[in-house]
Amino acid sequence: MGRLIVVACGAGINTSAIAEDSIKERVIQEGFADVEVKRILMADIEGYLGRSDLIMVVSMMKIFRTFHVPVFQGMPFLIGTKQEKDALLDKIVDAVKKT
Amino acid sequence: MLEFSEANVAFSLDVPDSQEVIRVLADKLCAQGLVSKDYGRLTYERELEHPTGLPTTPFCIAFPHADADGVIQSALAIALLKKPVFFKNMADPDEELEVHIVVMLANKNPEEQIQTLRNLALLFGEPEKLSKLRDQSSPREVVAWLKRELRLS
Repeated sequence: MGRLIVVACGAGINTSAIAEDSIKERVIQEGFADVEVKRILMADIEGYLGRSDLIMVVSMMKIFRTFHVPVFQGMPFLIGTKQEKDALLDKIVDAVKKT
Repeated sequence: MLEFSEANVAFSLDVPDSQEVIRVLADKLCAQGLVSKDYGRLTYERELEHPTGLPTTPFCIAFPHADADGVIQSALAIALLKKPVFFKNMADPDEELEVHIVVMLANKNPEEQIQTLRNLALLFGEPEKLSKLRDQSSPREVVAWLKRELRLS
């Protein structure tokens, strides 16, 4: 079974697309052939939390709750320096390797 | 193809609030037939629900956009503000940010503009670049500089 990373934002157009594309690019570089990265609306998150293939949530918004999978705040993809963007990708890759 | 010319720049714009910035930028795009008449209203309504202020340094910016419905041709518009206006923080809507530059991206389809979006995100992350953008001295310079940074032809 594949592994799923969801990238959630409020309205799901431009912002999460940047994060989604950044993560996808790195996932391909790392050779994680079974990892899918999917952009979703935060309002739809409940439908994904029950899925057994879900391994990570990347949220572009402040996170007010806990999840049973690792959660990363994705704002650096939008406003972080190149180094901050890469550092966040490193953390995401480490977390993927642990699943 | 992303439409961006001097006609899409509001230079040294003096407006009272975020609603007015959004209206001015949407009007510029609408006048060129790039977005529908109600794009400004749609964008402002979306801004109330899903704010787009970003806590960048050395000053904050905002990135208002609506869904693709009102977009006829993908386009970028930008306002350099004479005095800042408030936008709510995208990551934390309880926080008001003093915004100096507003970038409106009317996007038919995010995948189509993904490289431009990522180039924008690199710009947003570099304080020196944002300062440079604010220091451009004419709409013509803003367009030339931004096209170079975003690698728009």
